[in-house]
Amino acid sequence: MIYSIGDSIISPLAMTSRSNFEAVLRGESRLQFQEHAFGLPEPCFISLFEDEKLDSAFSALSDLGTDGYTKVEKAAIVAASQAIAEANISADSNDVIFILSTTKGNVDLLANNPYEPERPYLWRSAQIIASFFNNPNMPVVVSNACISGCAAQITASNLLNAGLYKYAVVIGAETLSKFVISGFQSFKALSPERCKPFDANRRGLNLGEAAAAIVYTRATEDTILPENALILRAGAINNDANHISGPSRTGEGLFRAIQKSICDFDTSKLAFINAHGTATPYNDDMESVAINRAGLQDIPVNSLKGYFGHTLGAAGVLETIMAHQALKHHTVLKTLGTDEPGTTMPVNVSMQNQTTDGNTFMKLISGFGGSNAALLMENNRNNNMSVETHGRASQPQQSEKPTISVISRCEITDDAVILNGQTIVSINADSTNWLADIYHKIGMAYPKFFKMDNLCKAGTLAAEILLRDVDFDRETVKPDWAVLLMNSASSLDDDRHYQTTIQDPANYYPSPAVFVYTLANIVTGEIAIRHRIGGESAFFIYPEYIHEQLERSVAVTFAANPEFTHIICGWVDYDDGHCNVNMELYTNK
Amino acid sequence: MENLILELKEEIIEVLNLEGMTPADIDENAPLFGEGLGLDSIDALELIVLMEKNYGIKLANANEGKEIFKSVRVMAEYIKEHRTK
Repeated sequence: MIYSIGDSIISPLAMTSRSNFEAVLRGESRLQFQEHAFGLPEPCFISLFEDEKLDSAFSALSDLGTDGYTKVEKAAIVAASQAIAEANISADSNDVIFILSTTKGNVDLLANNPYEPERPYLWRSAQIIASFFNNPNMPVVVSNACISGCAAQITASNLLNAGLYKYAVVIGAETLSKFVISGFQSFKALSPERCKPFDANRRGLNLGEAAAAIVYTRATEDTILPENALILRAGAINNDANHISGPSRTGEGLFRAIQKSICDFDTSKLAFINAHGTATPYNDDMESVAINRAGLQDIPVNSLKGYFGHTLGAAGVLETIMAHQALKHHTVLKTLGTDEPGTTMPVNVSMQNQTTDGNTFMKLISGFGGSNAALLMENNRNNNMSVETHGRASQPQQSEKPTISVISRCEITDDAVILNGQTIVSINADSTNWLADIYHKIGMAYPKFFKMDNLCKAGTLAAEILLRDVDFDRETVKPDWAVLLMNSASSLDDDRHYQTTIQDPANYYPSPAVFVYTLANIVTGEIAIRHRIGGESAFFIYPEYIHEQLERSVAVTFAANPEFTHIICGWVDYDDGHCNVNMELYTNK
Repeated sequence: MENLILELKEEIIEVLNLEGMTPADIDENAPLFGEGLGLDSIDALELIVLMEKNYGIKLANANEGKEIFKSVRVMAEYIKEHRTK
């Protein structure tokens, strides 16, 4: 079990967790109509940092000046430094791991990069942030689309419970750009007015900038938890195995994640559910269905998107902290912007700030790639919490170490496809379409393949070959299978492609079919759909391929999820025309 | 009209990456969505881009598209009426 010892939110609203909460209590929001933000031809409704405020907060931390840091890095560093100061830890210690949650990091540099060439890489941003604090460990980047912020907290839980580190600094950070906004516009997902979560007349989401950080540490048997400490009781990630951008109509993955994180907890004790509540028609309907299937329709539900907008990679961290602030102050926050709730299934939308005696809330989040996460969080109200836990993700499983073995292994390099050490396809170096060549040579029949970007093609091919001779249930969704992938370039190959659709103002046609692949975790979704995988799906970014990272991810994921039987884990990278894939199927049976 | 239908089929095959299909494989009178081509919501959004990029027709939302993307023939008729390039 892990608990928070420091946190921070910096947003366009305010520059600390506490002041953000106070602003929200007053019903404030910085969401504004912008005619031509970032040179966009179409207007949008967004929430943006004031550069001067951010720079002055950053300058107060360092003599280095603000020039060497991008906006998202500065925001992340300011948030992390506040959280670290509150936690009173030495961030330069080996005991501390930095976990960065972001979807697009410095993607705006693809238009114009005055920094070193590797600066748009997410691992590079993480490195710069961790180096600011002189932290010696290689940071983890969690890039799991909109669920990143909750996935990063689950990663922290896994790493701390495994005893690998003493402290985890989880940072969620996202800034906006022409790249991100145009993509959501091409998806027709943005509301032309202030967003209205769970409202019958909701028209889409608003985007927002923010950074938030939480420092977690693990509770041991003799830990006396501080009063009002935020405890991560349990967390779960489940894939819909349904579609790469549209949420499941039946709320499949979210329902499973809720069920799993609730486990045997008495749900009548839930003070509220802090939903994703993006205010797109599909998301809010899906959440209403999942909440009803889980029998939680009477619990107050709120969404914070009307205050902050959808802050993407920051959302899971920011909203967890805000929900905790609310619990600390015996409050269930109002869902700003909503007038008349109306979703497929009725939910108890919190329409005004109200009081609560509860100590526990549930955080929900869903995103592209079919991913969904649920966290069961508790506020240590009376300073009398025992360390005894319920649930699964919260329990260190050290007593019984499962025997983990590799069933099969597939490698794809620029020269060959290798299954279990045997070359099964040799690649013609002159071919201009060698991923399609592999597809034909292995006799795959899956027309969707041709819609994918190169990263997804590479990952989908590897999974197909990896599982070719494995005997398993291919028909039903398997919640006990997980897919964990990692790479160095995230989706940059496709990001560069998307950039070409928006770069030239005279030929500006943002492509939704390209934009959807500008998230690294879409490949986990493609594999989940193809092979009916309904357990965890996650994507991590590191500067280079180290096989031990795969083994570590598999070990901590099996330990945190004893019901998992199989994990597809792999390095899947596609960058600059080169492919590097090493995918393995692990079992603990 | 028949030229426009053929041109449209070629464009659809290209932008939606319908591998291995030829214009002859698409029945211009059959529904584009649902059964048949196996198109989904992202394809519908990409068709909205196609309408703007190639014919200068701006559609505000996917709902508007629903009527127009009924079949290749309906699309072609709409384009003929509303094209600005």
